[in-house]
Amino acid sequence: MRKLGIVALGAAAAITLAGCASGGTGASDEGAEIRVWLVGTDTPDEARDYLKTTFEKDHPDATLVIEEQSWDGLVDRLTTSLSGSDSPDVVEVGNTQASAFTSAGAFLDLTEHFDDLGGDDLLPGFVEAGSYDGKFYAAPLYSGARLVFYKKDALAAAGLSVPSTLDEYIANGEALAAANPGKSGIWWPGQDWYNALPYIWENGGEVAVPDGDEWDAQLSSPESIAGLEQVQRVMTNASAAPKDGNETSPEVGFCDGTTLQLSAPSWVKWSILAPADAEAPGCPDQEQNLGVYALPGMDGGAAQVFAGGSNIGVSAKSAHPELAIDALKIILSDGFQTIYGENGLVPAKLSLADTLGTDEVAQAIAAAAGNAKLTPASPNWADVEAAGILQDLFVKIAQGGDVAALAAAADEEIEAILNS
Amino acid sequence: MTTVDHGLDAAPSAIEGERLTAPPGPNTPRPRRRRGGLTPYTLLTPAIIVLALIVGWPLVQLIVTSFQEFGRAQVFGAPPEWVWFENYANVLTDPVFYGVLARTLAFTAVCVVITMLVGTLIALMLMRLPKGFRMLLSVGMLLAWAMPALTATVVWGWMFDTAYGVVNYVLVNWFGQVEYFQHSWLIDPLSFFFVAGIIIVWGAVPFVAFTLYAGLTQVPEEVLEAAQLDGAGGFKRFRLIVFPFLKPIFLIVTILQVIWDLRVFTQIFALQDIGGIRALTNTLGVYIYQTSIAGGDFGQGGAIAVITAVLLMSISIYYVRQVTKEEEL
Repeated sequence: MRKLGIVALGAAAAITLAGCASGGTGASDEGAEIRVWLVGTDTPDEARDYLKTTFEKDHPDATLVIEEQSWDGLVDRLTTSLSGSDSPDVVEVGNTQASAFTSAGAFLDLTEHFDDLGGDDLLPGFVEAGSYDGKFYAAPLYSGARLVFYKKDALAAAGLSVPSTLDEYIANGEALAAANPGKSGIWWPGQDWYNALPYIWENGGEVAVPDGDEWDAQLSSPESIAGLEQVQRVMTNASAAPKDGNETSPEVGFCDGTTLQLSAPSWVKWSILAPADAEAPGCPDQEQNLGVYALPGMDGGAAQVFAGGSNIGVSAKSAHPELAIDALKIILSDGFQTIYGENGLVPAKLSLADTLGTDEVAQAIAAAAGNAKLTPASPNWADVEAAGILQDLFVKIAQGGDVAALAAAADEEIEAILNS
Repeated sequence: MTTVDHGLDAAPSAIEGERLTAPPGPNTPRPRRRRGGLTPYTLLTPAIIVLALIVGWPLVQLIVTSFQEFGRAQVFGAPPEWVWFENYANVLTDPVFYGVLARTLAFTAVCVVITMLVGTLIALMLMRLPKGFRMLLSVGMLLAWAMPALTATVVWGWMFDTAYGVVNYVLVNWFGQVEYFQHSWLIDPLSFFFVAGIIIVWGAVPFVAFTLYAGLTQVPEEVLEAAQLDGAGGFKRFRLIVFPFLKPIFLIVTILQVIWDLRVFTQIFALQDIGGIRALTNTLGVYIYQTSIAGGDFGQGGAIAVITAVLLMSISIYYVRQVTKEEEL
């Protein structure tokens, strides 16, 4: 009787603590839930609906849930979530971050599905970014070129026209800022390092180049320094943006009139033209006044801009890999990718390039995407981004720091990470 | 402070404060002890098992990781390599680590002093306020305390925003301080920690104030009254009566504040995203996160975490010793 009492007490105490235990997960596809992580607001709602309805029509027993993630701290979140037992099934990752995960074995090997997913029609630079050691892990999702958005009336009022070289672009920005005190001729918050890359590349510089088995950081080369000095000139003379701000919400300044020009991913057009009563309000009344062009290079033509964009893979820990691959196939289908094209994002397939249309934005995208370039192809590059080395560098440059000394210090930090 | 029931009153002694009691006689019946037998332990076991699992196991994992070369590939299943003390050697020879440590200690010291000072003053004020205002202040502080740190940081970040922040607006338009037009509050590390300090102190004061207020209500009225009759002023009464009475509470609250502020993470991490230079504003908590999770070097991050844990533990041990000393007195 007494022993029984102790057992009962123990059991009672254990039961109260067991409330959080969950049921076991079955491997059956019946009632399966596929979780798709999309990052940022770039993917239009129309595409999200298309994915969900198509998938659930093909698999009446399963459901598909899209969970939106933010770009801030994405590498950290993917590291913890992909390795856990509660991993999402399909995940989007920035193209420069992909190799951190493909090299670590976080993604399912998709080599045998390569042809089903689009094969040689897929954007080659992104296929490369999603491959590791001869295997294909993460498919291209979309590419977003960086474009310059400007207020037509402001440019006209200052007697300027769309620039044809990088020097003209910088001079335009300075002239706009001088003619409109307190406003940005080129809006450039200090943490936005993506926009600085074209200046480095156009001057013949590089961020880092492979040197045997090692990486050699190049920010302090004379060519890169020349580019960084141009960056400092723009940040100091043309931009009224916070010297330590980040590049989120560029539409705010554009809509309240303090930003006259800015360089941003192509989908920012939709942020600017969002309804005035939206959650992130835009200013649709500016539609006629909104001009766009591709950033010009040193010698005319489009500059080498950063080829931003995303890859998408299936988690190695996915509980339903077959369903996840089916979802991936829908994402890379012509139907889904066409929606990207129609919304100003470069589709993952070369054959769908004409879905971008023929308007001003489309032409600018085509010009920019034709000359796009990537960050160093090292699995450790994502760590350079996550450590915020480039953000810190450009904040200090925006503050008016000594470019040569800052670049040399940043080179040391980048090499330490890339060669670790 | 244990009272033993011997059936006899203790005799007063010549030494002040001491009372003589006879040793328990051989015939005194022992207090009923074994009542309930194993029941308390049985009831405790599940909780101890859960504690060992959710606190002990991660700690063991952390220590193991700190002796290994543990990168992102290891997270996804590759076997780790044992490097023993290499991670510790790397950390302890890294000037960056000492910079972070010094920054953290200085920031903690400032935050704790201000938090305790403001918390004490508010607790004293709560004693004096009429009921209505006391309710108002309490509810306000409860709201501040209930606000998640991340939300609070984002809101404070907006207020100090460079282009659209209310602080700059008020300084420029109401007080004519034109140099604060587009002034960046976060770009200078000292100014960054000023803003971070405001957020942390603002979030920590309610706890200190409530705890001390609870203690203050227990200070015997008659002692204070007697002191007042003897001519002791407000400050003297606080120093000589209230403070000694509440010393254990002050001690535990201070130590808790030190521990919380030393490992502060959310406020700094979120503020770094809003502005400022990461390398110049990292504190221990953020530095561990950046090394291990963002940088993918879990081994070295683990080593820093273990060093931090040792630091916090030595503070806790000091605290436990102080408290047991208090109880022995």
